[in-house]
Amino acid sequence: MASLSKGSIAALIAAFVGALCLLLESNLPWLVKFPAAWVLPATDWVGAFMEWFLALIKPAARSFSALMFYPMEAANYVLSRTPWPLVICATTALAWTLGGMRMALMSVVGLGFVLASGYWPESMNTLALVAVSVPLALIIGGGIGILANEYPRIRQPVQALLDIMQTVPTFAYLTPLLVLFGFGPVVGLIASAIYAAPPMARNVLLGLERVEPEIKEAAIMAGGTRLQQLFQCEIPSAGQQIMVGVNQCLMAALSMVIIAAVIGGFDDIGWEVLLTMRKAQFGQSLLAGSVIVVFAILIDRMSGTLTEDRRAKHDPRVAWGILAFGVAASAAFWGSVQAPGSYSLFNPVADSLDSGLSAFTSANAEILTAFKNNVLFYVLLPIRIGLDQAVLPFTWGFAWTPVMSLWLFAAGAAAGAVFAIRGRMALGVMLLIAAGMLETGVSQLPWPFVLVGAGGLAWVAGGRGLAALTVVLLGTILLSGLWERALLSLYLSGAAVFACAVMGGAIGLASAVSSGVWRVVRPICDMLQTIPLFVFLIPVLMVFQIGEFSAFLAIIAYAIVPMIRYTRHGLVSTPDEMIEAATASGATTWQMLKDIRAPYAAPSILLGLNQTILYAFAMLVIAALIGTTGLGQSIYLALGQADVGLGISAGAAMAILALIADRMVQGFAEERRKALGL
Amino acid sequence: MTGSETPAITCRNVWQVFGTNAGSALKDALSSYDAADDVEAELRGKGLIPAVQNASFDVKEGELFVIMGLSGSGKSTLIRCISHLLHATGGEIRIDGENIVEASPKRLIELRRKKLGMVFQHFGLFPHMTVAENVAYPLRVQGMKKKQRLAKAQEVIDLVGLGGRETNYPRELSGGQRQRVGIARSLVADCSVWFLDEPFSALDPLIRRQLQDEFLEIQAKLKTTIVFITHDINEALKLADRIAIMRDGKVVQIGTPADIVLRPVDDYVREFSKDVAKGQHAHVSSVMQSGAHHVYGADDPGLRQDMTLDAALARCMELYEPVPVRSPDGTLVGVVNPADLAAALQVEQG
Repeated sequence: MASLSKGSIAALIAAFVGALCLLLESNLPWLVKFPAAWVLPATDWVGAFMEWFLALIKPAARSFSALMFYPMEAANYVLSRTPWPLVICATTALAWTLGGMRMALMSVVGLGFVLASGYWPESMNTLALVAVSVPLALIIGGGIGILANEYPRIRQPVQALLDIMQTVPTFAYLTPLLVLFGFGPVVGLIASAIYAAPPMARNVLLGLERVEPEIKEAAIMAGGTRLQQLFQCEIPSAGQQIMVGVNQCLMAALSMVIIAAVIGGFDDIGWEVLLTMRKAQFGQSLLAGSVIVVFAILIDRMSGTLTEDRRAKHDPRVAWGILAFGVAASAAFWGSVQAPGSYSLFNPVADSLDSGLSAFTSANAEILTAFKNNVLFYVLLPIRIGLDQAVLPFTWGFAWTPVMSLWLFAAGAAAGAVFAIRGRMALGVMLLIAAGMLETGVSQLPWPFVLVGAGGLAWVAGGRGLAALTVVLLGTILLSGLWERALLSLYLSGAAVFACAVMGGAIGLASAVSSGVWRVVRPICDMLQTIPLFVFLIPVLMVFQIGEFSAFLAIIAYAIVPMIRYTRHGLVSTPDEMIEAATASGATTWQMLKDIRAPYAAPSILLGLNQTILYAFAMLVIAALIGTTGLGQSIYLALGQADVGLGISAGAAMAILALIADRMVQGFAEERRKALGL
Repeated sequence: MTGSETPAITCRNVWQVFGTNAGSALKDALSSYDAADDVEAELRGKGLIPAVQNASFDVKEGELFVIMGLSGSGKSTLIRCISHLLHATGGEIRIDGENIVEASPKRLIELRRKKLGMVFQHFGLFPHMTVAENVAYPLRVQGMKKKQRLAKAQEVIDLVGLGGRETNYPRELSGGQRQRVGIARSLVADCSVWFLDEPFSALDPLIRRQLQDEFLEIQAKLKTTIVFITHDINEALKLADRIAIMRDGKVVQIGTPADIVLRPVDDYVREFSKDVAKGQHAHVSSVMQSGAHHVYGADDPGLRQDMTLDAALARCMELYEPVPVRSPDGTLVGVVNPADLAAALQVEQG
């Protein structure tokens, strides 16, 4: 062991600082708990600045708001006044043109369900918002993408801006928007345009960058002006990628419009979900949630056909026929059709679901509570506040004593030593650190240790620059007084990410090994990814009521998908030649998996983990609706009180955590990719 | 080769340097050193990449000029300088006497619309346009009416033998067919200077030979000035009027196919022509002693100056005396010693 690796050095320093903090804890309490006197009133400063700034641009914003009122009213009027048979037929005709019989059927069944549920008018209100915000997002996003392509110099800042637009939690910018534009649907509209523009911009830029250089050169040599080259050759050549952007833009807009329902003031389907959820009418809530899911699936699948490589042509006469039928039906039954909101075919189902649910929960109360309590007491709580406080006689059956702490550290040290002797120094020290964190609890980690540990990790992942960035950004949170809440957020999302990594990794592995498993898992993943964030809350609430545990489950349900997908994709996409070479060398299936596929898949799996982390942070804020502590809660509270300073600061803190995690994992993935020569 | 006064293309001391502040670095280096090698060393020392170094040559009107070299030798960069897809870092490039390095963007668009055509290695076809739309695109950017431009496109589509494929999309065509589209597109605007960047490299050997033959036919018909890039010595010898061989950014030899095969300037060029069947590419004129005053023997096997060495050798296998060589119209133009014919074919012993 002549020289220590980067990882070992970082781990040793972190372990040393951690141990020092623990030892000095009783004498120097400020080492663990950052003293309130040191905190800068950053939240107030931000609030004051924002108020000044918002007041400055308020007139412009209000006139924009007034301007947007007209297209919104128009869209609303058209969608709510058009007879429902015509809306269904028009959508179905479009579906046929895009995807033939299958898509048309999907449209009829989906919209039929919406109609029968009685949520038709609310759905149309939501669609009207989407219909106005999407073109706005497409224009903004497309414009940004094209400009970034034209002027390479602004590409870097634009990418950073897009990162921020997507990592700052959606709730956080609702608050300033609320102050700017006043209560009302315009806020939802603008928030969804802001949220939906980045994917469009990214895909436009990516598509334009990926146009073959020879196609660009051919356009130049044909004698086209720059505008001709761009609009006649490059943009159409990038069509497929741009359509991916349109698809993502649509989904993001829908998701955000529904989240924006939290503000209220617009009688839409998201509001319906929230209202019924608050009244604990879970049957109705689930019904309204299903309507959202139906829309999400329809919009996703229909716009998804645009991204396909070679689309089959479908006879346009059929589409015209469907449309004509819709017009005829509307004309024939004008006046005699029921108001679309009056159908309630599924109400009995919802009611029986409600009563069935109460029966189920009361019948299985013991099992459910036991499950919930077990996870809470034996997993979540120790991670949060540490074994020394979580282990109590009435939960674990005995009290935690210093002797036990000693044993824990001894066990950690012994295991660490074994690894260190076998040459895995970094891993060994990390084991020791893990033992210390388990003893202390994530939410009570000494702040010097967190700064040093995170900085060290960043140093290993991405070098000195990333380490400096990490320490500075975390220091900002520390000084702003949001530290404890940030640690709470870190704990909950960390626990959820860990659970996702273990379970998602296992499911991904199973899906890679057996195609039968994948056949079952894949549609579930597709489904989970299409569902707007909001809807995840309903089923967990139904069974486990409000609380941290429900939030934990909702986060897992949402964030596990990328882990599954990327793990499987990484494992199955090992090049055939390598598999053949391993087979020729006589490797068994298990050896192949362990020695060939897993190392090759590592970068892909890390990217999956990265996505999972970002998803978890996004869901964390939404989950604040059903009871979590930490930054998410602050953001949500700020929204209620229109406290711009708190909203922005907490949102920024959240974005900082997500950003740091993102950069670190990307750094590790990059290193693996380089090591594999990819 | 017509003996026109101004060359169609003139390159004088052309440099293409990649890297930050390449322009000023080149200017500095050029002012402090005279020899190109010193300039190169200076630039490389600063971490810059001189992809084309001090290239100078003329291409005559109607000439088929081939630039040959291995990948990374700078040949593709050079053709992009001449077609101004890249702005040359230094030097002078004239097309019909006009210095295009200093041309305005507007003038460049005009030049491309009226004068220049280019064919790409991977075809560079627009995936969202049909064959006819692809071919007619250079006319579309000029604002020509649809009917007119499609009619004009039809002529070149027929010329390259793609009649009947007009409404297909590029993805529905084979590689050979795609390159025919690329060729048609580059010809549709009646260019007078035609750039081809490894046009046949991506095709399999049989299709490649077929397209080469058709290309020669088209060239015989149109007589445009051509700059043709290839890494294939056989292709170069087959097509070229003259060949420029590039290595590491430098033009190492310019000459006729026979010059390249029979009189390589260095080992690098010799290495290229090693595997070439010299007898098929060199002609009697390249080894004969010209002039009507030479003494020759009694036998006259009927050699012509444009015969390949192989063909000539077959006729005088058993002869030892010098024999007369005549031009196609029968006048005596020189003599050749059969031993010289055989000697020219000798491959160096590795």
